[in-house]
Amino acid sequence: MTDTSRKTATTRRGVLKGAAALAGTAAFPAPFVHAQERVTLRYLSTAVNQSPSIAEKASEDLGIDIEYISVNTDEVPRRVITQPNSFDLVDSEYFSLPNLVPSGNMVGMDANRIDRIDDLATVIAEGKVEGENVGWDGTAPHEVLYLEDKDATTFASEPTEWITLIPTTYNADTLGLRPDLIDKEITSWASLLDPDFAGKTAIINIPSIGIMDAAMALEARGDISYGDKGNMTREEIDFTIEKLIEAKRAGQFRAFWSNFQESVNLMASGEVVIQSMWSPAVTAVRTQGIECVYQPLDEGYRAWASGFGLPRTIDGRKEDAAYEFINWFLSGWAGAHLSRQGYYPAVLDTAKEYMEPYEWAYWYEGEKAEQDILAPDGKVLEKAGAVRDGGSYWERMGAVTCWNAVMDENQYMVRKWNEFIAA
Amino acid sequence: MTDRRPRSFYVLFGIFLLFMMFLYGPMISILMLSVQGSDGGLVFPVRGFSTYWFEKLWAGTGQVEIGGALRRSFVLALVVMVLTVAISVLAGLAFRHRFRGSTVLLYVAISSLIVPSIVVSLGIALEFRLIDDAIKDLGVAWDIGWIQSGFVSALGPFTSGLGAHLTWTLPFGLLIMFAVFNRFDPAYEEAARDLGATPWQTFRHVTLPIIAPFLIGIAVFGFTLSWDELARSSQVMGSDNTLPMQLAAKTTTVTDPEIYALGSATTAGSVLFIIMMFTLVSLIQRRRRRLL
Amino acid sequence: MTELTDTVTEARQDRVSVKMSRRTGLVLAPYLQAAPMALVFFFFFVLPLAATIAVSFWQYTQYSIEPAFTLENYNDIFEGCLSDLPDLCTTFRTYLSTLKFCLIVWALTLTIGFTIAYFLAFHVRTLKFQVICFLLCTVPFWTSIVIRMISWIPLLGRNGLINETLISMGIIHVPLEGLIYSDFAVILSLTHLYTLFMVVPIFNSLMRIDRTLIEAARDAGASGFQVLTVVIIPLARPGILIGSIFVITVVMGDFLTMGIMGGQQIASVGKIIQTQMQFLQFPLAAANAVILLLAVLVGVWALLKLVDIRREL
Repeated sequence: MTDTSRKTATTRRGVLKGAAALAGTAAFPAPFVHAQERVTLRYLSTAVNQSPSIAEKASEDLGIDIEYISVNTDEVPRRVITQPNSFDLVDSEYFSLPNLVPSGNMVGMDANRIDRIDDLATVIAEGKVEGENVGWDGTAPHEVLYLEDKDATTFASEPTEWITLIPTTYNADTLGLRPDLIDKEITSWASLLDPDFAGKTAIINIPSIGIMDAAMALEARGDISYGDKGNMTREEIDFTIEKLIEAKRAGQFRAFWSNFQESVNLMASGEVVIQSMWSPAVTAVRTQGIECVYQPLDEGYRAWASGFGLPRTIDGRKEDAAYEFINWFLSGWAGAHLSRQGYYPAVLDTAKEYMEPYEWAYWYEGEKAEQDILAPDGKVLEKAGAVRDGGSYWERMGAVTCWNAVMDENQYMVRKWNEFIAA
Repeated sequence: MTDRRPRSFYVLFGIFLLFMMFLYGPMISILMLSVQGSDGGLVFPVRGFSTYWFEKLWAGTGQVEIGGALRRSFVLALVVMVLTVAISVLAGLAFRHRFRGSTVLLYVAISSLIVPSIVVSLGIALEFRLIDDAIKDLGVAWDIGWIQSGFVSALGPFTSGLGAHLTWTLPFGLLIMFAVFNRFDPAYEEAARDLGATPWQTFRHVTLPIIAPFLIGIAVFGFTLSWDELARSSQVMGSDNTLPMQLAAKTTTVTDPEIYALGSATTAGSVLFIIMMFTLVSLIQRRRRRLL
Repeated sequence: MTELTDTVTEARQDRVSVKMSRRTGLVLAPYLQAAPMALVFFFFFVLPLAATIAVSFWQYTQYSIEPAFTLENYNDIFEGCLSDLPDLCTTFRTYLSTLKFCLIVWALTLTIGFTIAYFLAFHVRTLKFQVICFLLCTVPFWTSIVIRMISWIPLLGRNGLINETLISMGIIHVPLEGLIYSDFAVILSLTHLYTLFMVVPIFNSLMRIDRTLIEAARDAGASGFQVLTVVIIPLARPGILIGSIFVITVVMGDFLTMGIMGGQQIASVGKIIQTQMQFLQFPLAAANAVILLLAVLVGVWALLKLVDIRREL
């Protein structure tokens, strides 16, 4: 059963490739599943990645129903590890992979079945932007992108046919601030620990991400110089946590947050005036009519990426549907939709085709908006004339210095992080 | 009735009023924020007046998706309610006699009430994780296909979740039964037995009608304790959320007043529920009084 | 006539046999009646606790737990607790902080709860008003805990209603920072959530006090205060203890209120357990749970020495 369907899929792919070549890149894979009973894919990820319009559009175009299972960022790997067949498709952060892959609950994806595999953004596939290496500290996606074979529980150092995660969204994070409540020029991550902002900063309570923010701030302040801040030694972890505890006891932090909307609420309500933020979170604060800046810093950005993975147990029609959906996801409509929220998609060229030139110029090229920039729901995000913070795609992603990380000493780090939260 | 109240009455009455303000103040502020206009935010000042957020909640198009969790919680609470009443009454009857292990059972029931919920939740989660592992190993060992491909977890609202809720509601049920039977006059039952009633007839026609109003109490307790239970549910619901869990998750993920609309709506719902229950109790009592 | 005697004898025999079977039934009945409850507690309380204790000695990796017998989890929890003295290690600090919240909230809920229960029991004269006032107290309890918690946020925020009001009244000029994401917010919210658990049992105890006792004390010349301390409070002891046990155990295991109202910054034992579970450090969480369990049981055991719950209801 599995074999036949796979064969069908492969031949169809071959045909499609030809068709795509003829019809141009915009062609959708023909909805093969239409002929049969509709397939429902259970899509596990954080709520942020689960746009209802994407599910609607996919259902329209492919005849595949998407059922979202939304959980918190740290719940995603927990589900993958403890309940590997409670979902058919997971959208996970790359930094979770060093925990997920050894568990054997994920399966390598066949690169040959991904139409756009050669067009993945180079920053994900190779860790390069326009041929230049970006910072690789932490769990850089290209280091965990490939498996030795389909069922391998270790990563391959060279590109192979087996992919761990196909990127969905990624971006570079930096400090977000409320310019109306801050009268200082902010140029460095060190401001996160600036006593002037005591009681008005926040930090993310997800160890793999928070520790990187802390490391950026401490290194910027000159407290320490890490060997690899994405893979700290126990001594480095101890030092970092000790400094964090010091800051916490001195009342530096207003709150800790663990998801996107919390950071938006903290910033919008004025409880916090400076904190590490995702670009779309900054956008979300601004749509509430509140000034908020995504501030590029001297030290560069902390980047993250997440992508689609498949559980070990998937097979048959569900597997075909999952590939179908992933291929559709990379084919442009979804990419454009995500771009309008401030994320970057896996394949730039296809997203571009679904965006107006003025939109592309604003979101990607760092140019002035020729007309009002609208969010996917039609709300005005930016008036004409605005320029995107941080500039173009290449400026942003090119200035990445580190990635969210799972370290070799992760268990120890998580334990120490808990002490910081408890201190 | 007309004598003057002591000064302490007025002081205490003042304190009572303050307490009411303390209890209701936040709820009123939620209500005010939930009837804001469409550009309202999560904090004061109130912007505009409309039922926009209620409509959005009703239509299910906003950020708060609670339909599934609401239905699940409701069904679960009903099941918990029925089981709590049945099991508590049985146990209550048992405790009227001496039986071996009664002290142990009592102490276990009371400990179940006082062991911190997070510990119980963790324990059940661990127990089921071990069960899951065992089932999966079995699936591999005996090569059972559906286990290997289809088995997700024994964790779920109606397995581990139900159990967790019962550990919370049953002690209350049992304690209420103690209170009931402590005041119960066995003479009625003896009379019935002397007239030749079987134990079942005695229970059905004598004991049950007498304790019925208290059973409604246990039912209400069972339903609401389950309906609002969070700490024990936190680790044991598997991939499904109950309403309070969904709410807790949403408090941090919602950026508009729809969450307040939901708060106001659930409060109104609970108030209706209490009014219904009390009408029911007073109706029964009135009927009984007429019969007497 | 003979027929009649026969029937009577038959009936008598019937009754004897019924009585016999009823007797064996009577012996067995309590066991059968108690069995469902015993089974529920066995599967969902006793076994889970046993599992927790067992797993607290296991080893774990980032994606699995493995049977073993190691004290490492306990060792990790108490790491540095002796060597760092007199500085407190994180674990001690966390327990102390949890205990602190426990005591403060207990004192507050007890004082408020007793006062309200006293008012309802002794100063509200008609049953109708008693029921109405009592219902007024319980209505908020029927709303989701989560909703009741977050309902404080718009009031307490830096730009919340209270700060805005105080500023506009000219009482303060800079917003009070400590209203939310602070110890104050946690205590306020916990008191708000759990005072009712004091009111109900204390009210129940007070209602059972024989009013003639109070009159007798008055007649014997006791002052109002003496009546309260010598007669009423001792007689309300069971209610006070039941309420106290409830509040103390709920606060000891709380993680949600401290999380939301404390801006995730305040440590509590429950929260540590919850975080560790989130990161799949089950054995570590189990070890913490065992320690918490012991702490709570010791406290409650001491309280239970003072009251026989079964009698006092």
